[in-house]
Amino acid sequence: MTGENSGFAFSLRQITKRFGPVTALDNISLSVKKGSIHAVVGENGAGKTTLMRVLYGAIQPDSGEIVIGDQAVRLPNSATAIAKGVGMVSQHYAVIPELTNLQNLVLGAEPSPWINGPSLESRAEALARKMDFSFAWNEPSSELSPAGAQKLEILKLLWRNSQILILDEPTAMLSPADGDALFASLQSLVSAGATVILVTHRIPEVMQFCERVTVLRGGKWITEVAVNELMPGELAHLIVGDGLPESAPVDPLAAQVGAPSLKVSNLSIRGDRGNLAVDAASFTVRSGEVVGIAGVDGSGQRELFQAILGVRSILSGEISFSQQRVDTLPPARRIAAGLRIIPEDRHEEAIVNEWSLEENSILGLQRLPDHSTGGSINLKSRADWTEKVADRFATKRGTVKQAMASLSGGNQQRFVVARALESKGTILLAFQPTRGLDLAASARIYRAIRETAASGNSVLLVGFDLDDLLRHCDRILVMNRGHLSESASMTREAVGDLMVAK
Amino acid sequence: MKWRLAALILGCVIVLAVAVSVAGKSPIEALTTLVKGSLGTPRARAGTLQEMTPLLFASIGVFVALRAGLFNIGIEGQFLVGAMTATYAGLKGPGGPMGIGLAILAGSLAGAIWALPPAVIKAYRNGHEVITTIMLNNVASAFTAWVVAGPGKAPDAGSPTSANLPASLNLGNIQLAGVPVSYGLLGGFLLVAVVGWWLSRRVTGYEFRVTGANPRAARAAGINVPQQYLRAMIFSGAIGGLGGAIQVLAYEHRFYDSFSPGYGFDSLGVALLAGSQAWILLPAAGLFAVLAKGGTALDIFGVPKGITIMVLGMVILVVAAIRYRREDSVE
Repeated sequence: MTGENSGFAFSLRQITKRFGPVTALDNISLSVKKGSIHAVVGENGAGKTTLMRVLYGAIQPDSGEIVIGDQAVRLPNSATAIAKGVGMVSQHYAVIPELTNLQNLVLGAEPSPWINGPSLESRAEALARKMDFSFAWNEPSSELSPAGAQKLEILKLLWRNSQILILDEPTAMLSPADGDALFASLQSLVSAGATVILVTHRIPEVMQFCERVTVLRGGKWITEVAVNELMPGELAHLIVGDGLPESAPVDPLAAQVGAPSLKVSNLSIRGDRGNLAVDAASFTVRSGEVVGIAGVDGSGQRELFQAILGVRSILSGEISFSQQRVDTLPPARRIAAGLRIIPEDRHEEAIVNEWSLEENSILGLQRLPDHSTGGSINLKSRADWTEKVADRFATKRGTVKQAMASLSGGNQQRFVVARALESKGTILLAFQPTRGLDLAASARIYRAIRETAASGNSVLLVGFDLDDLLRHCDRILVMNRGHLSESASMTREAVGDLMVAK
Repeated sequence: MKWRLAALILGCVIVLAVAVSVAGKSPIEALTTLVKGSLGTPRARAGTLQEMTPLLFASIGVFVALRAGLFNIGIEGQFLVGAMTATYAGLKGPGGPMGIGLAILAGSLAGAIWALPPAVIKAYRNGHEVITTIMLNNVASAFTAWVVAGPGKAPDAGSPTSANLPASLNLGNIQLAGVPVSYGLLGGFLLVAVVGWWLSRRVTGYEFRVTGANPRAARAAGINVPQQYLRAMIFSGAIGGLGGAIQVLAYEHRFYDSFSPGYGFDSLGVALLAGSQAWILLPAAGLFAVLAKGGTALDIFGVPKGITIMVLGMVILVVAAIRYRREDSVE
């Protein structure tokens, strides 16, 4: 069957997909013009990723038609989709850390059964240069920063000659500068004839870089509009529907700032490559305060976070919680002393995916008196506790016995954040706490973090979204290649300058 | 899940029937021989329970390590050194309950020590435990063979064997429905219960399982991961050694060359069948024991034992295929 599809890179027509009783996609159509960047937006669970996975052949729709170019196609699997020129970068990067960058690039798309290193490398280098990327091809990919992994993923699509590139939340892990660079390369790709579908939560990206935008809500198609016809603020309303806060207000600053609670002085930390990842950092977070750490990804934030938690050894310096030195204490003792964390990587560091919500609800808190007595887990109170954690941010779920894996990513994140906030600590260490969450959920979480601070906690917040940090923090410290400095004023320009200063 | 299990059992019966037909016997007759030979008479039942005992202990050992994410293939070696050490401790030590206690302690300790090098290498150098433990199996079997052939050989024995333990070191039985059940096996039941309880109720058990399920999350949750690995291998080895001691005290009453027909290896299959639930070790070890005991009867009947082993292999394969089947994921 040949469809008349002129000018469109692809069309999804009346796609419906059900998972059991849930209709994830309800009769959704999407056509994207060749050579454009098209945004697909919506809240968590709106069906964005599901729709994209239909186009990528990873999910079979119950009904509907897929047209790529001029041809109606069936995509029984991703291999077929890739062969038709469709490529996708998902939220969780599929870079294998043990392989080198070059091996990751060609994995599954080797030009011949005999791999000729040098010739591959020169082809890879040529491709990378076209995109203004640069890679140490023979280094293991475990050394890549998130931004680097993201770039490698995009390059993988180009290596496979993808003409339709699906990017799912590509800037979630990137600094503003890396994000801008990414869009610059996407625009050059698009002008060369490729088509980009951008799944995102970030409205500014849509407004600035996309031509058209499709809004989904609860598995239904809401509208498709040209971005230049949108009123400011209109898109947020379309995404969440009726009854949504105007623009998120700037949080009130700490009303009462108390005694220093988290104190770091002259802290130096080695990175994985033996480099000096953090160089003589000193700062204090008082109780009642939310202090943000801004910086380009890979500037030492991760190492600082790990050192305060106690899972990375320090070179020199001191860390203390409420006047008590903790830098020689193991992590468990620091948790006992009141440290709560929201780790960066939910899947790898914060949950056990196959376990129940109940078992996950005490992860990291298992030795606190609320959750165990005399070395035995308090099973009776655990179910109630789990309900409390899940209900804090209205996690969509079944019973507490349900597996964590059955929750959507956003709901898992809600659960992880609520777990850290609900258990009463004194210091909260949060690394991108709203990663992967939509506007409404993010706003609620930041509000909850402010409340935690107002009740006397100290909060240290590592983030890559400068606007979020400016809106929700009392003070901002900037990390720039291991050096920590405080921004004199809370403006985008002042902080941005410190982030990239030489 | 229920119908899958039924299908599994049916599938095994069919495979067995086909294999037996190929071997030139009547499948129905072979099946009755298998069931009769393992469960048909009190004597057969006693034999099956005896087969089950070492399989159960060794599989608890493997199971424990698996919960912390380690695959202790070295359980065979730990079982052997445990059995040998328990034997000599029994021979040198006092008689009666004291001697039994000493032998059990010595066997467990020997198993733990045998697991120590892989434990340390895993915890602090991240050396893969499969490689290190499998190598120590060979060392254990050669070492124990040398001991019973040389310095530990009973003076009047014609073959490489230790002296017999005094009768006061016999663990003894209770009679259940006319079948003698060794206290050793009952101890195994108890151990399953203790392990299950510890893993699900105790904080240390929880931390142990977090380490197995997601080591990075364990680290972020304040758990000392290398320490968990050490603990896992030492527990596992000690339970393997304990199994060897029980085998000596309950059934064999001596140690000899080729003491284990591969209980440690069979127990890997038992533990894989059990998955994450400790109590499933009981039916799984029971199934293996029935096939082992009934397989001997089949052998006499004229169907090679290899066929029952083949069936076991298929069972494990199918269970693994069901368990590790990729679930369809939703956004």
